[in-house]
Amino acid sequence: MSLDRRHFLSSTAAASTLLAAPAIHAASKTKQYRTALIGTGWWGMNILREALAAGQTKVVALCDVDSDRLEIAAEEVQDICGDQPRTYGDFRELFEKESVEIAIIATPDHWHALNALAAIEAGAHLFIEKPTGHTIGESQAILRASRDAGRTVQVGLHRRLGPHHVSGMKFLKEGHAGDIGRVQMYVHSRGGKEEPTKNSPPPENLNWEMYCGPAPLRPFNRRIHPGGFRHYLDFANGTLGDWGVHWLDQMLWWSGQQSPRSVYSTGGRYVQGEPVLNATEQTSDAPDCQIATYQFESFDAVWEHRKFGGAGPEKSSVGCYFYGSKGTFHMGWRDGWTFYPDDSNQSVVHQDSQLQEPDGHNLKLLWADFLQAIESGKRPAADIEIGHQATTLSLLGMLSLKLGRSVEWDASRERIIDDDEANALLVRDYRAPWIYPKISS
Amino acid sequence: MNVSNDYRCLPVLVFLLGAINLPLMAEDWNRWRGPNGTGMSNETQWTSHWAEAGPPIAWTAEVGIGFSSCVIQGNQMLTIGHANQTDTVVCLDVKDGHSIWKFDYPAPLDDRDFEGGPTSTPTIDDGSVYVLSRVGELYRLDLASGALQWKTPVAEDAQVRLPGWGCSAAPLIAGDRVVLNLGESGVVVDKQDGTLIWKSNDKESGYATPVLIHGPDQTTAVFASSRAYIGVDFDSGKQLWRERWLTSFGCNAADPIVHDGKMFLSSGYNRGAALFEFVDGQPKEVWKNKEMQNQLHSSMLYDGHLYGIDGNMEYEPRLRCMDWSTGNVIWSIDDLHPGGLAMAGGRLLVLTDTGELVIAPATPQGFKELTRGRVLEGKCWTSPVLSGGRVYCRSVAGQVACIDLRQ
Repeated sequence: MSLDRRHFLSSTAAASTLLAAPAIHAASKTKQYRTALIGTGWWGMNILREALAAGQTKVVALCDVDSDRLEIAAEEVQDICGDQPRTYGDFRELFEKESVEIAIIATPDHWHALNALAAIEAGAHLFIEKPTGHTIGESQAILRASRDAGRTVQVGLHRRLGPHHVSGMKFLKEGHAGDIGRVQMYVHSRGGKEEPTKNSPPPENLNWEMYCGPAPLRPFNRRIHPGGFRHYLDFANGTLGDWGVHWLDQMLWWSGQQSPRSVYSTGGRYVQGEPVLNATEQTSDAPDCQIATYQFESFDAVWEHRKFGGAGPEKSSVGCYFYGSKGTFHMGWRDGWTFYPDDSNQSVVHQDSQLQEPDGHNLKLLWADFLQAIESGKRPAADIEIGHQATTLSLLGMLSLKLGRSVEWDASRERIIDDDEANALLVRDYRAPWIYPKISS
Repeated sequence: MNVSNDYRCLPVLVFLLGAINLPLMAEDWNRWRGPNGTGMSNETQWTSHWAEAGPPIAWTAEVGIGFSSCVIQGNQMLTIGHANQTDTVVCLDVKDGHSIWKFDYPAPLDDRDFEGGPTSTPTIDDGSVYVLSRVGELYRLDLASGALQWKTPVAEDAQVRLPGWGCSAAPLIAGDRVVLNLGESGVVVDKQDGTLIWKSNDKESGYATPVLIHGPDQTTAVFASSRAYIGVDFDSGKQLWRERWLTSFGCNAADPIVHDGKMFLSSGYNRGAALFEFVDGQPKEVWKNKEMQNQLHSSMLYDGHLYGIDGNMEYEPRLRCMDWSTGNVIWSIDDLHPGGLAMAGGRLLVLTDTGELVIAPATPQGFKELTRGRVLEGKCWTSPVLSGGRVYCRSVAGQVACIDLRQ
């Protein structure tokens, strides 16, 4: 994340006291969940650190296709808590050999479904990163399988519990911004043309074949791993499939989980240039700018991202505007939320964010909520259905972009109306021997 | 003790003390980590005090985005910056900051997870300037005019891949050779024309600048690879030893510190530090801990103590003093927010990550600020440099401030 993390550090000391996890039922405090992490990169380890900090985690296994990462992660786990997790390069072997009660899934998107389904089959509860699928069908499969198996699934939408998000939603739902007719979600950054980078043989510590897994096997490139997969559509869905899921979820939360009737997206790589992929070199291929318009019953929601131009005259480069009959409400990230009344005689209302730094998240709250949900059997704050809906909207945007036309969405059937070509894009071909998940009905 | 006996030794003592305390004027800082490769200047004739109004900023200049540090020879100061798909080597006059020459070469900003721009520091040697771009091209320029003498796509010539964030090591000149941290354990070219002398395996390098260990029979070059620090025979490039050293992003960026038959290594990302003793030419661990994690900046060894930045730069790093022989932390300053660190004449110069310059004696007794003042705005992650009593500080956005601390 290249957005300025440092800027808001001064507020973290105060925030940390407010973020103390809610007390979990005293009797169950001793319960230690046998936990496995699949995908031991930057974000996966952020989640695992929070899990360990909550005090009810015994790390039994780690899995990654990068053996260096795996070794480093295992060493850190031992440094933190003394657990000596067993390490695996293949999640199937992990679930075969280990008894796992909680699986954390933080692999690139194209692996989420197969990892999640294997974990559910092994009887584990899931903490899974968003998006919940690389295609809509994968996300549906996780939703159905977890419901059938009665497993708790928390999706990594920590903004569902972030204190300023909670108070901002209350403000909106109490009507202080009036009737909302339009929601604008956005992330903007700076950048220019992307020159191709030379391919190279994968590093000896990386099982590249397994990294690609169900996705096409493309030449290895240092831009992809570590940390670059989001910009490659074989493995992820660009900015809309990343940031977009968070902000779409904020919009859905405010709307009471409504569904759009139609989705239309445009975009491209107008500044970064046409994607390159050949035997010697490649670029990323995710759009450098995109607009996706979601038409709901009583409002429009518009996603927009740009990887060039910067924030411009805007105060913030990321967030969500709710335009209402009483003014404009901005739900931000580190900048908290701000309401600008349309009557200039009224004063601006603002609330600061309360985040865990340096990465600006609220994973501590999300993990505590996850444990409570497992113990109570109630749905967690960012339940799989919530994650699935936000993921679906982001993927419908990508689908419309690929088709170059709008799609009509039948939310009850989760199908695109009268459009076989579009419905074909709800799933993808998997590379053998991997088999696309069956959606139980 | 008998005074009359001591009397005879006095002239010798006076001579020795004089030699040690001889004030050092204007020492050129011709390369990354200075002429001795220690990161420390010997200059003592500069002041740590300034008026209430703030540090005496002689001039400022815009050099473009980047992390390249400054090098100084005579009246010339050089660094590299980026704008509009172009890296520019700038040569400024140390007196007033006016531009003496500029040299442009095409380069992507390459702002992967950071602001991008050049990350290596130029090297001045024998009237020439050597510049290694992030995409692994080596340029030699005429120091006086900035004219291109030759360039070579050295990574391509050597058929070695680039590390994830591109080349960031400074070129090291040794005799008639240019030593580069490229490939698994280095690439060496002829400094006259850039022709390849030897190369290493096609594996990722790390980001630290090579260091030479001169032995009685053999010179060893130490390279930070993405997964290890590797010692090679400087003549042939043959690997002599390897110390496995993993970090999350293959980010071995701190230069090894070699002293008294021992070697100190340190990296961030929960790797930590270790001291090794060379036994029969192989490094043998003396101590190892996680108390000094140099993510980007190399520590400095002064008077038996290491001074360095511990922790990942985005996670509130600490300034620390550590005992060289034991690895024990002597002191740790948690709220300084260091962005870069230098030392001159036994005093530490800390550039905070928001652009304040802080000066304090380098002593295990503690970190006692002599003075502090704002010299730059915005994020600063480049080590300041002191040469000729002037301190050169640089922000990521590309402002260079020259603070005149001459006495």
